Amino acid sequence: MNESSLGVVSLPRNPDLFRREGTGSKRTADAPGGFAAPGNRSLMPIIQTRALRKTFRSVVRGEGLAGAVGALFSRRYEEKVAVENVNISIEEGEVVGYIGPNGAGKSTTIKMLTGILVPTSGTIEVAGIVPHEKRRQNARNIGVVFGQRSQLYWDLPLRESFELLRAIYRVPRDRYRANLAHFVEILDLDRFMATPVRQLSLGERMRGDFAAALLHDPKIVYLDEPTIGLDVVAKEAIRAFIADINKRLGTTVILTTHDLADVERLCRRIVLIDAGTVIYDGKLERLRDEYGTHRTLIVHLKDPQPDFALPGVEIEHSEPPTVMLKFDRRTTTAEALIRRVTERYAITDVAIVEPEIEDIVRRIYLEGYQKPPARAVET
Amino acid sequence: MLAVLDPYFQFATKAMAREATYRFEVFTSIGSLAVRVYLMRVVWVALYAHNAAPHGIPLHTIITYSAVALLMGLILDIDQTSLLHDKLHDGSIVVDFMKPISVPLYLFADGTGEVLFHAALIIPSLALALLIVHIDVPSLPVLGAFALSFFLAYFVGFFLNLIQNCIAFWTLEISAVQLIMTWVTDLLGGQIVPLLFFPAAVQNAIFALPFAAMFSTPLMIYTGQISPAGYTQAMALQVFWIVALGLIATVIWRAGARRVVVQGG
Repeated sequence: MNESSLGVVSLPRNPDLFRREGTGSKRTADAPGGFAAPGNRSLMPIIQTRALRKTFRSVVRGEGLAGAVGALFSRRYEEKVAVENVNISIEEGEVVGYIGPNGAGKSTTIKMLTGILVPTSGTIEVAGIVPHEKRRQNARNIGVVFGQRSQLYWDLPLRESFELLRAIYRVPRDRYRANLAHFVEILDLDRFMATPVRQLSLGERMRGDFAAALLHDPKIVYLDEPTIGLDVVAKEAIRAFIADINKRLGTTVILTTHDLADVERLCRRIVLIDAGTVIYDGKLERLRDEYGTHRTLIVHLKDPQPDFALPGVEIEHSEPPTVMLKFDRRTTTAEALIRRVTERYAITDVAIVEPEIEDIVRRIYLEGYQKPPARAVET
Repeated sequence: MLAVLDPYFQFATKAMAREATYRFEVFTSIGSLAVRVYLMRVVWVALYAHNAAPHGIPLHTIITYSAVALLMGLILDIDQTSLLHDKLHDGSIVVDFMKPISVPLYLFADGTGEVLFHAALIIPSLALALLIVHIDVPSLPVLGAFALSFFLAYFVGFFLNLIQNCIAFWTLEISAVQLIMTWVTDLLGGQIVPLLFFPAAVQNAIFALPFAAMFSTPLMIYTGQISPAGYTQAMALQVFWIVALGLIATVIWRAGARRVVVQGG
């Protein structure tokens, strides 16, 4: 496979838009997604961050009551790095999964992109605007959905929240009516448009929040764990909605989530962040290819074989008469392995387990991302 | 211009609608006002029965003063809104900062919407109060001056409330501050007793504070303790306090908002 073609991942609506700014140190060191940018740089990406860094100062507190009381009088501070050297470049119309464990710096990045947090250093540009310098202007270009926080007005019927947002964003009436009618239809809001938001179920509220975030046709939407706590049906409705607005309107979507099914369903590109640093930026498929090199072969033996062994094959788990064998698909094929097993043992059934993206990401969280040695660093 | 202000009119309208959804609140606030008017009358009648009228203020004037003060309290409550505090406390302020709005203007619009709803309660409350006490009604020009002074007092109250709420930018918790401020404005603002009842030295200190611009000034106009000749000076002082408190609120707001922006809520 051609390595350099893997470097750039985006969903440009027009192939001519396939441009990306080069970046600094990340490229070869720890972001194999990199930003290989062949050709001219005629168009700016819609979101661009360079060497983005954010630190917080927090009070160091001793233990227990004495420590808490002590902190009232003498304060020691420590600097915590939330985001470090983040270089992200996103084209218009992309759907990017921004994932990482709790406290990795996802929300901090999103807040900087929305303009409510000022970076400690580095630069950000969103649709040509520096968000924290022109917060209100930037706000018109973006829509935000927080899974854990609603922007709807708690005491008001859903419909009135929408009316208020129409005024806030100065959406022209006909545009408002058309958008609302569309959202009501695809999100099935009709049944609870007159219900006060505080009486809505979580699923209903989330659907309301999605409509609220998109009423003003934002160019970019930031979705911060939008499916958290939803049931399967509601999750799917939300995912279909995101896919639809991206496809129909070309809305750029940045999605942070812990539910990797969201990512698999929606994103071709993912940015993995851990401890404030981007550790992977590229195609989801490629992460699976590179990192998910191990497969598991599950073999049901005809008779229990407590001392089952194959030279050079790792047994992942054994529960007679079933054994699970781990193999590297780059050095062994499933067929060869099955043949070796059947040479020695009688079997009734086999199954091959592909690595779940979930497992891959969990492994990266635990072990850190290492570029698989079998692959050369792109040059 | 109107399009720019449209969202804020909407905020105010929605705040009114929101207040109206809590019917129980509406009835209890009218009911509790009637109780307070009654108790106030009992106290003043008892006090006047055994003492000479202080400063020559007759009983019917003091009852009028107190009844109007209680009615004004429906609108001029330093504790009227703690929207900002609530938003800082639960972190939802972040959502407001993500909208293309001026957040302080939004708070003002929302608070004013609430107040306008409470203003509508004055009519039934007044009707109820009139069953209990007699309230003197001054001449129309005096009523006009009172209305204007009351209007100015609203802004004094708004800024005091905003400053008080802004403390939550640093502490997240303001219940102790709220308690103190409520007492201070009620007492030093002249809602409970006319400020003339305080010793002269204390009065000087009190009139150097903004609280008197909330209750005392409009009430003294209403009861004639400030004569028409003194209107200009009295209201100029109110305007001074609006400007001064407005500036203080702006400085504190900016520092607080920067803190949200730096710390991320």
